[in-house]
Amino acid sequence: MSGPQGTLCLILHTHLPFVHHPEHPDFLEERWLFEAITETYLPLLARFTRLCDDQVPFRITMTFTPTLLAMLADDLLKVRYRRHLERLIELTEKEIHRTRWLPPFHRLALFYHHRLTMARRQYLEVYRGDLIQPFRQLSERGVIEPLASCATHGYLPLMETHRPAVRAQIGVGVQAFERAFGRRPVGFWLPECGYHPGHDEELKAVGIRYMLLDAHGVLFGSPRPKYGVYAPVFCPSGVAAFGRDLESSKSVWSAEEGYPGDADYREFYRDIGYDLEYDYIRPYLNGDGTRLNTGIKYYRITGKTAEKQPYDPDRALERAAQHAGNFMFNRERQIEHLRSIMDRPPVIISPYDAELFGHWWFEGPDWLELLIRKTHFDQKVFALATPTEYLERFPMNQMLQPSLSSWGYGGYNDVWLNGANDWCYRHLHTMAERMTRAANEHPEPDALRARVLNQMAREVLLAQSSDWAFILKTQTHAAYAYQRLHDHLARFDALADTLRQPQIDEAWLSTVEQKDSLFPFLDYRVYATAGRG
Amino acid sequence: MVLMVKDPLWLFAYWEVRPETERSVRSQLLPSEIPDLRSVLRVYDVTDVEFPTEPAHRSFDIPLSGLATSWYIETNAPNRSFIVEIGLLTASGRFFMLARSNRVTTPRAGPSEIIDEAWATTDELFWKLIGSSALLGGSSPMVWAQMLSRNAVLGSWSSGALTQTARPAIVRGFWCRVNADVIIYGATDPKARVRIQGQPVAVRKDGTFSLRVTLPEGTQTMTIEATSSDGRQTQSMTPIVSLTAAGSLGAEPGIHPPPAARPSIRRRP
Repeated sequence: MSGPQGTLCLILHTHLPFVHHPEHPDFLEERWLFEAITETYLPLLARFTRLCDDQVPFRITMTFTPTLLAMLADDLLKVRYRRHLERLIELTEKEIHRTRWLPPFHRLALFYHHRLTMARRQYLEVYRGDLIQPFRQLSERGVIEPLASCATHGYLPLMETHRPAVRAQIGVGVQAFERAFGRRPVGFWLPECGYHPGHDEELKAVGIRYMLLDAHGVLFGSPRPKYGVYAPVFCPSGVAAFGRDLESSKSVWSAEEGYPGDADYREFYRDIGYDLEYDYIRPYLNGDGTRLNTGIKYYRITGKTAEKQPYDPDRALERAAQHAGNFMFNRERQIEHLRSIMDRPPVIISPYDAELFGHWWFEGPDWLELLIRKTHFDQKVFALATPTEYLERFPMNQMLQPSLSSWGYGGYNDVWLNGANDWCYRHLHTMAERMTRAANEHPEPDALRARVLNQMAREVLLAQSSDWAFILKTQTHAAYAYQRLHDHLARFDALADTLRQPQIDEAWLSTVEQKDSLFPFLDYRVYATAGRG
Repeated sequence: MVLMVKDPLWLFAYWEVRPETERSVRSQLLPSEIPDLRSVLRVYDVTDVEFPTEPAHRSFDIPLSGLATSWYIETNAPNRSFIVEIGLLTASGRFFMLARSNRVTTPRAGPSEIIDEAWATTDELFWKLIGSSALLGGSSPMVWAQMLSRNAVLGSWSSGALTQTARPAIVRGFWCRVNADVIIYGATDPKARVRIQGQPVAVRKDGTFSLRVTLPEGTQTMTIEATSSDGRQTQSMTPIVSLTAAGSLGAEPGIHPPPAARPSIRRRP
């Protein structure tokens, strides 16, 4: 048989909520972005670039959520990232000195110092502080297929009671994508793979050709899918849906049985921010002095023991190579098996959160690069491709209505609708309905009122981030999530109130605009329903 | 009043009743009705029905405690549509609606019973394709598929009947669960159409039909209706089945599967 017997689509979903606090000199949750840049985005860029330089052909599909794009482009956060990196480099310099009589740790201190100075070089000299540009270039070279996503990672199935809210999340998301990548999006990442029947029509309306669902979204679709999740299906609207393959997902996702839990890999939960003497580490903590993860971690997972052994980067890299080989071997067998029972080549959809690679699973970017190399050089059973390429090869697919589904725990809406967060929906729904009413009532406002209306729309979108409901559920940083919901609701109320006043306080409006400063292109009319066909 | 889907078996409703609405409803009450008045949620199964112009398939009431403004509703019914009303119920059974919700449809909890001829698949093939994913367990609804394929309950699928599947219940350590299913079966003219609880059921070539349903606790009436091929004659029968459990097994909502293998690791600890 000539040519590959199947296709593997690796999909990296990159998302962080919009965290931007110009009103504070130093803000704990802004570190989410800084850690992701150092540990995930820069390492991925370096590896993708290296693969291109070595002329290894590969295809990878990536989402960049509009909130993340907005933060990567924000001048204040760029300055703060640089400051964050400088301070970490300073800490590693002290660590080199402190560990000079502790050989395994001294070596690691040098290792981190080298990594961080290289990151600084890459960020400042190679990319000049702009991380969107290199991803865009990879997309223009055809290596990365970028996917659009919702404006603020809003969880769409729980917005269904007010369809204009769904439409705005999608519409603004697509606009942000076009600004960043200079092209129309072909595919769409539904936040948390949250699909509600009918939302494919909204995607169709903005020109999207495919979306990604969790396995049961397709498997429980009706009529029954002939090929399970191993071929795309068409929704009644004509938008294609690809279903997640659970077998390949699990080997990477699972903390226990998956690769990331291997004893040789770096232990995430042993960080010098917690381990070292308080006075020594204090200058590198945040304003309030609470201990936190610095990203400098000296131990390997070792096993289910508190007695952790020092990390050995060479040994970990060996292990990553073995795991890449194992993943490839398993896909070969899986695809051969599927090919024997299907009358066409199967497609395997493997989506992961990008932050898993590097941030949580330190060796993840190495594993990914090794997997790509091995896939190209060491086997012929399958090839890497994007969903678009698969659809071009196989344009005839079964038509069915996918089922409501998400990739959250339980598979439906439970994670975002439970005792810890259900209270927020009455506020979020009311807010979106009021936004639509305001948009209908003000078709032609003066310039200042247009600014107020646009800012109201930003507050609605920011409050709808699925992150807040998720954080309230998991109870980590819950106070922050509660504060954010409260702030956006309160700002929305105040703005709506201003709209009815004869005089608008422009200075106050400007401060709100500076805080919640994303989506400068936003037009609140995306919420309007009056005059729609 | 807003109604939302939580999962195939549960809904969530929240509401706000305007004081003037409640006042105007209360003004219609007889003085004797006021002492025993209760607030209730009335849950209607409105699958394929234009409610309220057409009657609902069934409804049930949930008594509310005084100050509740939201409620989780167990329907135990995947792939059905619901509308909920909040209202006041008198001791004599008169119901005064205060607010009505939007309509929602619960998702399926298992594969569809409908097969497209152009993309026909056999049960064996479908399970082979699902098989590899199903054996993984974890947090996904596919867990049940594992139970089904392991027990080889394929017979009930091949009948083409509507099937309610057993719900997943994997708990670490010792556990025990009991669910009851009933199988309704019979035979009629092979050309007749049969509906059980309003849902069409496939009649085999020899005129037999069967349907397996999960039996919730309490008393259920199941209407079986056979209509002749010309539509002129209808026979119906309504068996009443009741399930009461003695003993002390945990009730359904108290038992949770183990923590997710999936994506919970995303955000910072």
